[in-house]
Amino acid sequence: MTAMLEVDNVSRRFGGLMAVDSVTTTVGERELVGLIGPNGAGKTTLFNLISGFTPVSSGEIRYRGEKISGLKPSVIASKGISRTFQNLRVFPNMTVFDNVSVGAVGAIGQTPWQAIVGGSNRAQQISERSWEALEKVQLTRYANDLAANLAYGKRKYLEIARALAMNPDLLILDEPAAGLNDSETAELASFIKDLHSSGITVMLVEHDMGLVMSICERIVVLASGKKIADAEPSVVRQNREVLEAYLGVDE
Amino acid sequence: MSKDFIQSAGLKLAILAVLFVALPLLLVSLDKGYIYQVVMLALIFSLLAVSLQLVTGIAGLLHLGHAAFYGVGAYIAALAGADYGIGFTLGLPLAGLGAAAIAFVVALPTMRLVSIYFAVATLGIGQMIFLVLQNWVEVTKGPNGVSLFSGIDLFGYTVDSELGIYFVVATIVCISIWVIHRLSHSYYGNALRSLREDDQCADAMGINTVRLKIESFMISSFFAGIAGALWAYTTGYISPVDFDFAESILILAMVVVGGLGSIPGAIIGALLLILLPEALRGVGDMRNIIVGFVLFFSILFLPKGLFGEVPSLNFIRRQFGSAWQDNPDKQKVGWK
Ligand SMILES: Nc1ncnc2c1ncn2[C@@H]1O[C@H](COP(=O)(O)OP(=O)(O)O)[C@@H](O)[C@H]1O
Ligand SMILES: [Mg+2]
Repeated sequence: MTAMLEVDNVSRRFGGLMAVDSVTTTVGERELVGLIGPNGAGKTTLFNLISGFTPVSSGEIRYRGEKISGLKPSVIASKGISRTFQNLRVFPNMTVFDNVSVGAVGAIGQTPWQAIVGGSNRAQQISERSWEALEKVQLTRYANDLAANLAYGKRKYLEIARALAMNPDLLILDEPAAGLNDSETAELASFIKDLHSSGITVMLVEHDMGLVMSICERIVVLASGKKIADAEPSVVRQNREVLEAYLGVDE
Repeated sequence: MSKDFIQSAGLKLAILAVLFVALPLLLVSLDKGYIYQVVMLALIFSLLAVSLQLVTGIAGLLHLGHAAFYGVGAYIAALAGADYGIGFTLGLPLAGLGAAAIAFVVALPTMRLVSIYFAVATLGIGQMIFLVLQNWVEVTKGPNGVSLFSGIDLFGYTVDSELGIYFVVATIVCISIWVIHRLSHSYYGNALRSLREDDQCADAMGINTVRLKIESFMISSFFAGIAGALWAYTTGYISPVDFDFAESILILAMVVVGGLGSIPGAIIGALLLILLPEALRGVGDMRNIIVGFVLFFSILFLPKGLFGEVPSLNFIRRQFGSAWQDNPDKQKVGWK
């Protein structure tokens, strides 16, 4: 059986810098994979390559056997891959509900004609899917508030809800715990675990090892664009190269 | 639920009653040709402002050449009537479709431009269309303009009374604004708003951003073309200066003063900027200065507009019965 996502010898060069350097890895169906590495390791860049935001310089990315590198982000998204952003990108001047509805309308679709004449049950479907996503992150109370007025922690969940409204098979989260305190991080960890048990494949970037070590089944470690480890948490924790990369840069 | 239904139906009926009963009665009792012209202008500019709101306020594309598409519609209607004997029933849709077709052609290369570059491109397009209207004398008759005395023929009947023409214009403006209202206050409209907020992020949500931008630009231009045709049929004479850059800026000012992103705001802005100068005719040359002051202070004190997007969307959800509220909390959210 082929893996759900195959990253095949992928590189991305920015000028003279190899932000992602010949990385090969896979994500299996229903896996919960962590991607860690020090700042500047190329984690976000790898996510941008998978979601089509940044074109690959070389190599190929396949999703369920089909080549997706080179496709537009919207096309990749419609195949069932949705993502969040490290630097939190909600739509500030739209309500919480309307934010989430963009994910749902992106996935379900509504033509101008359907919007004008109504009739089809698209609007109903989109409404229900958006409400369900808000329920999952417990933000229904804020449905009619502007996203800009939400607290930071809640905006993080809003972004996840928007991605969930697309009904993704593969969810990629870029540093969801950044800026959260310890108890909020623990809460988020159990939330991500629940998402995973509900059948969604999750790929999770974290700068900080704690969260990833506690919930991921497998961990990929990047340093300076190169993959230096790809194994279970207990194995990665013992890996000398990983410890050096981390201890050398951090703390 | 039924209370909401009665409330929303009541408001819609009230609007129709004003447009199709109270205002006509007033017009008949005043019986001044000049007042008709002002009312017609207010209707046509309401449609222009609402259609620009769709691209600029909602989809977030700063469009500086809207009046040119208004002009394309007016010229198609006037030339079809004057040179080919094509009447209102065919001329009106032709004007809209012609403007939309030109919008499609210019949208293809420009939609990938971002923010200020897009604005400058639309400025250039507006200017190009204006110059064509002005200088392609064999077709457009140049600066002399086109006269059209056919009036409005509706399926064999000729509507030539001022009141009759008013009814036709009011009906078409109403239907057009209703269409744009449906588009804006829907999930399609939410997708357009997401382009304005962060189009890269919208892309990651599966939204085909380029397609949506082109669509909204074409729909907006279609209705600008319809507005142009209405102008040509009601005045009977058009010339290029009716559609120059200043006119585009006037429409943009209506949209901004009314409130970017707000459909009712665009109508309020249009009424203000058409009716205020007319109401001030008595004060002579001072009136343009007063209008300028009103614009300046309204933006200074109400930067989100006289009826901004947030209150406007709440208003439409509550009073127009457009919200989805089957959710367990019975909140008025989303769209039906
Ligand atoms: N668009 C870009 N242009 C130039 N350099 C970039 C760009 N995006 C990322 N980089 C560089 O690539 C490297 C990896 O960055 P990034 O993927 O954001 O790291 P991480 O997410 O692991 O912290 C960094 O050195 C960064 O400066
Ligand atoms: Mg990063």
